[in-house]
Amino acid sequence: MTTSAAQTLKLEYVKTIGIVNNAPVGRGFANPVDLAVRADGRIFVLNRGAPVFTRIGVINWDEDYLYEFSSHGDGEGQLRLAAGLALSNDGSKVYVSDEYNHRISTFDSDSGDFVKAWGSLGSEPGELNGPTGIAVDAEDNLYITDQNNHRVQKLTPEGRHLLTFGSEGGSAGSGDGELNMPWGICVAPDSSVFVADWRNDRIQQFSAEGEFIATVGESGDGDGQFTRPAGVAVDADGNIYVADWGNERVQVLAGDGSHLMTLRGEATLSKWAYDFLAANPDEVETRKISDLIPELPPHFNTPHLISSQIEPYFWGPASVNFDNEGRMFVTESSRHRIQVYQLG
Amino acid sequence: MTTATKSDVGLIKHLLRRASFGATPVELDHYEELGYEASIEELLHPGDPQNMPDDIIKRYHTDMHELRYGNSATAYWLYRMVTTKAPMEEKVALFWHGVFATGYAKTNQARSLLNQIDMFRRLGLGKLDDLLIDLAKDPSMIIWLDNQENHDGAINENWGRELLELFSMGIGNYTEDDIKEASRAFTGWTLGNAEYMAVRASKDSIWPYGRIAWHFNFRDGDHDGGEKQFLGETGEFNGDDIVRIICKQPATARFIARHLYDFFVADEEPVPQWPYSAPRDPEAIDVLSQAYFDGDHEIRHMLRVLFNSDFFKEAQYARVKCPAELVAGTMRLSGSVTQPDMGILPTSDLAGFMGQTLLNPPSVEGWHEGTEWINSGALVERVNFAAKEISDITAPGVRVILDRLADQNGGEYTATEIVDACLDIMGTAEMDIELRAALIAHVGIKGDVSLAGHEQGDEAEQRVGELLGLIASTTEYQLV
Repeated sequence: MTTSAAQTLKLEYVKTIGIVNNAPVGRGFANPVDLAVRADGRIFVLNRGAPVFTRIGVINWDEDYLYEFSSHGDGEGQLRLAAGLALSNDGSKVYVSDEYNHRISTFDSDSGDFVKAWGSLGSEPGELNGPTGIAVDAEDNLYITDQNNHRVQKLTPEGRHLLTFGSEGGSAGSGDGELNMPWGICVAPDSSVFVADWRNDRIQQFSAEGEFIATVGESGDGDGQFTRPAGVAVDADGNIYVADWGNERVQVLAGDGSHLMTLRGEATLSKWAYDFLAANPDEVETRKISDLIPELPPHFNTPHLISSQIEPYFWGPASVNFDNEGRMFVTESSRHRIQVYQLG
Repeated sequence: MTTATKSDVGLIKHLLRRASFGATPVELDHYEELGYEASIEELLHPGDPQNMPDDIIKRYHTDMHELRYGNSATAYWLYRMVTTKAPMEEKVALFWHGVFATGYAKTNQARSLLNQIDMFRRLGLGKLDDLLIDLAKDPSMIIWLDNQENHDGAINENWGRELLELFSMGIGNYTEDDIKEASRAFTGWTLGNAEYMAVRASKDSIWPYGRIAWHFNFRDGDHDGGEKQFLGETGEFNGDDIVRIICKQPATARFIARHLYDFFVADEEPVPQWPYSAPRDPEAIDVLSQAYFDGDHEIRHMLRVLFNSDFFKEAQYARVKCPAELVAGTMRLSGSVTQPDMGILPTSDLAGFMGQTLLNPPSVEGWHEGTEWINSGALVERVNFAAKEISDITAPGVRVILDRLADQNGGEYTATEIVDACLDIMGTAEMDIELRAALIAHVGIKGDVSLAGHEQGDEAEQRVGELLGLIASTTEYQLV
């Protein structure tokens, strides 16, 4: 559903991928929070798996479930509270943040083998406190939102500290360039860095060197306003795509911050959902006579409560990512699926 | 504003054990300054709960954003009970949850159960009529008591029966015909997409995209709008009319009064015994029943009368803490919850091991309370949890206790003095005399306790931490 749209931006719903998986292994998703698409089309989906079904599932555009790796835990190659995922530029490595163990783990993307992990709790350069979003720049360095240090750190793939920006002294701030529990992060085509400044309800743009450039958004649920934005992506035209988590929607803003479009979600049955329903005719029959976008009593008056009742709407949109064919993937943690839109 | 007299302080602590989950030293400062009667009014008019923010919880605990399963929902409620600044709201929700017991075992809908708890927060201190109407419209209750199967021309009596038997009047105050007529009046009171939701609930289906939460829906075409006779009145009654008639009945006043007495004053026998046994204090029930009518069926007014009554003031330690009170109260005192932590899930599970899995009562009768909370297995869980929680001298609330003790008495205590000071803080001042002597003897083995100039983890702090843990292990700490 598009509530408003600028003439210049065309973003059309394509399909939904996913189904809830209630087991530690196998096809389906378990509270997915992030994904990355490799140049060959392989989609790496990070299942936070709250609380214990953590893993990375690998699929393709045809929704074949190819393989999976990692699991819940604190050992090498395991993840406790997985938060963000990114691929190296050549697609060979998968980086995953774990906000519980304050570390970044690296996996081989083809085999899923654990390669290494680095990071430890602290507030010194190179130390982490609740790392969440990961973005890779053209030189294969990582920008990491260091959530509870309220900062961003730029590190090499080996974990060597290069740069820190955001709030200083470990305290949250709301001034220009300061951060409060940042979540998602991306590197724009012009190499600038966009940060979902989660608890400040805004997106901030920094140069590759960490200099503050601009801020867009403010608290609220109107056009161009955010409630706890979780994910951010930027296209070649400089348009900003935001997973507006607390408002359960995706917003698109122009580079100058003007509002272009709002998406509330329009999920349809995925291939895997059809497979499930084919084996459960009683649910098909009763689902058929249901109104899945019903009118709700007035006390269900927050986006969160509304999304809990209306299945096609976004619920827990934690990240927004693009592949190299202009497809936008919105990952919904509480609906265990991905809604895909085509940028045209 | 009046400041509490010394004799009031004991009563204020008693009040806070019942209307809250006990009191931290900082809370006690506030209420002592208010005085007893003003404290009652503040508690009965909950303001901003200022509990741990939802966004912080839901970001960290992705499962609590979704609330697919019961354990996530109970842990989420525990955060609320432990961190709220409006404790009466949680206490009254806990009270109604025990009366209108609705459970996960049949509904498989944690979120909608929590929505019901939220309704108790909103309406639980208000007029009984409004509460019962929203209860009748509550989708979890509808599935729990099969009202989606209650159709025009083919009634299902389950909801109508329990409304009268367990939720408002009690056995002996209505006829089987009244049940049938009430059930007719509630035909068409169902939930949105009832057929699909009922199938999913019965199969515990979470597919394809997780659970879809529930909302009320009135199907006019399935409602029996014909004439009905109910409790001596005749009319084309709808469910609202049935509730209005129920709420006029003296039996309803007495039934709700006995429930309030049971939860807030002193343990009564289990509800199924009530038709056959007199209340523990019949005069108190008379007083509360009168308050029900004087206050136009408002629960807040009944509680105002209750907390100001002599029968309440004289009922200190007359109840056994339910597991939720024990767990939440001890955690509030220890101050251990300052930010989301994965530990909340196993801690929340502990209340279940003690016999009370919130949002999943054993039946529509709720939990059998009082001494039935205590069996050997549950007692071990209660003691182990409370002792460990309150003896953690790194916990913020325990640090406040240690600092307070250091500031008082010059920080110097004999064994007797430190035992009495800690008994007071733990809300167990009425300790058995022999047990108190045993605690004093134990502490006295190592002599006096000096907290002057104390440092975290030093011997004096460890001795006080151990003492707090020992007190949490006593029979007295199980009472409220």
